[in-house]
Amino acid sequence: MDLLLVGISHRTAPVDLRERVDFSGRGVPDALRALAARGSTREAVIVSTCNRAEIYVACDEAARSRMDLEQFIGEFNGVATGEIAPHVYELDGTEAARHLFRVAAGLDSLVVGEPQILGQVKEAHSAAADAQTVGPVLNRVFHSSFAVGKRVRTETGLGAGAVSVSYAAVALARKIFGALEGHSVLVIGAGEMGKLTALHMKSQGVQHVTIVSRTMAHAARTAEAIGGANAAPWDDLDAALGSSDIVITATGASAPILTKARVEAVMRPRRNRPLFVIDIALPRDVEAAAGEIEQVFLYNIDDLQATVRENLARRASEVSRAEAIVAEEVEKFGAWLRSRGAIPTVVALRQRFEAIRRAELDRLDFKLSALPPDARARVDEITHLIVEKLLLTPTEQLKSVTDADTVGAYSEALTRLFGLDDQEKADGERDRRIEPFARKRPR
Amino acid sequence: MNFVPLLLYAAALVAYAWHFGQRSAVVGRTATTLLVAGALAHTFVIGMQTMEIGHVPVAGATSAISTFVWLLALAYLYTEMTTDERAMGVFILPLLVALQAIPAFRPGVEDRAAVLQGPLFGVHVSSLLFAYASFALACVIGITYVLLFKEIKAKHLGFFYARLPSLQVLDRMNQRAIVIGWVFLTLGIVVGAVWAAQARGGYGAGDPRVQAMSLQDPKIFVALVCWSVYSFELFAARAIGWGGRRAAYLSALGFGIVLLNFVPISYFLTRSHNF
Repeated sequence: MDLLLVGISHRTAPVDLRERVDFSGRGVPDALRALAARGSTREAVIVSTCNRAEIYVACDEAARSRMDLEQFIGEFNGVATGEIAPHVYELDGTEAARHLFRVAAGLDSLVVGEPQILGQVKEAHSAAADAQTVGPVLNRVFHSSFAVGKRVRTETGLGAGAVSVSYAAVALARKIFGALEGHSVLVIGAGEMGKLTALHMKSQGVQHVTIVSRTMAHAARTAEAIGGANAAPWDDLDAALGSSDIVITATGASAPILTKARVEAVMRPRRNRPLFVIDIALPRDVEAAAGEIEQVFLYNIDDLQATVRENLARRASEVSRAEAIVAEEVEKFGAWLRSRGAIPTVVALRQRFEAIRRAELDRLDFKLSALPPDARARVDEITHLIVEKLLLTPTEQLKSVTDADTVGAYSEALTRLFGLDDQEKADGERDRRIEPFARKRPR
Repeated sequence: MNFVPLLLYAAALVAYAWHFGQRSAVVGRTATTLLVAGALAHTFVIGMQTMEIGHVPVAGATSAISTFVWLLALAYLYTEMTTDERAMGVFILPLLVALQAIPAFRPGVEDRAAVLQGPLFGVHVSSLLFAYASFALACVIGITYVLLFKEIKAKHLGFFYARLPSLQVLDRMNQRAIVIGWVFLTLGIVVGAVWAAQARGGYGAGDPRVQAMSLQDPKIFVALVCWSVYSFELFAARAIGWGGRRAAYLSALGFGIVLLNFVPISYFLTRSHNF
């Protein structure tokens, strides 16, 4: 059995095509059922996010499944196959596994190291498990991908550092104040930017938000929109500054509102309690010199963007460590996959033994027919146990081999020694679906 | 015997430094385990010496250092376990290793002068050692505060930003350590003064060292300077808002004086405390 991946992602397809190829919108379980009904695959998982649509399958004939999957993607989503084809990528075996591991690790994401993708991969697997379209191959490769995602998260800095301005502001506030609960935010200016930043702070645990604007009505309206925020008149600005820990300035004023002298005056009664000032206005609302005051931490939008860039650069420098983890897990998975190369031989060997047992029982049928039924059942059981015991060690040995050459040599030897070729011809394809490793061992 | 804890502390130092650089959880746990092992070995060493000489070895300068290192290791472990914060270890461990090297390379069982007796003497020494351990922690926390403060002020969020707890947490830990240290320093000095007054009139009347116990002695004088520095810090932090970076600098200055008093002055200058 082969592992195969067919899909499109933000790297290969434009956004309008990705929007139309949307399995999660149309229902992943339905898609899995429709795919299973086509009969070209044994196992299937569909990973569908806004940045990618990928189908992982285990199949017997890679070439046939590949064609069928491409068709399926088009048919299920109502997009012409010819339109999708130029954007599709297809990988098989360990390369498909490597791709999945990189996806789960966040290496293939638009923002490298973003954390949501691992959860989405897990959801994709459990949806397929619910639809009963996963088997040994996809279970193995997906569980390995979860392990890769977790290792990359804990062992590298790939997911570290805020990569958006508002997260960078919150991360900084946490580094200054510790937990944000119990601290208060003052927003100066009732515009959209200030509102959004305040909302973000609130979602991160800040309890008290106060809005000050030159027009009290605007402040009141914004406070209402945020929910649970207070509005204060412009004349109370100094008092509000004195009681706040984080100040976000976002007014349209042409001259700085917070001069160094004004902030200094506010700091004295605060007894140097730290003040974090985020100036997201253009032109600036806060005099740059105010940042020189002890215990005043002044960041403007450019500073925050610079830290975001630094974080992105740091993530990029962690990529090679993450790739090394991926490579390690690909190696392990490859060994496991190669060990499965022995499965047809194992199946043939078992079938051969079973055929001999049946043939002998049939041949002796006239003698056995004299026995009472329970004694005949005993004979059947005992011969079955003998066959199982004889096969136990060879099966386990074959299972434990992980390099392709040895698997080939073993298969070759067994085929010759037991004449498995003839057997295969005789049995045809009848029982190839038997999964020998899943069988119960003899007692 | 003091070599075993020294080696374990040194191994823990390497592990803490590695953990600080790589932030690997396994290495972090290894570091803590090594430090716990070092502290246990040290407990055993001090316990054995106590059994051997019949009292806790704190009278001589060398054994006092060993006991101080032991207290500092325990105080740090307590801080680490209550705050779940390992970043400070890389700053504390060098101090442990450097100081523990003194008893390790200057072995010998202390010979307690007959004059050093009574319950007050024990209270005097153990409170001061505990105070010094608190000040050592405060100093290290203060240094990390300044490192983080500078990165945030300079808008260059790098190495320490990613590894240290928040400024507010560091400031609080620093203040707490200073308060505890100050209380024990005060207690130690007061009890020492009372003991000296008793000894001078009684069993220590003939001992020149006891007669030298006055403000003119460098050890006693510097201890009082220390007390003034920490008292000022506590006052300034509360009354005039000298928290944060200034408090951090003061705690580093204070511990610098403590170390000066603890090692060079004890060995070379004092005439009253050279037991």
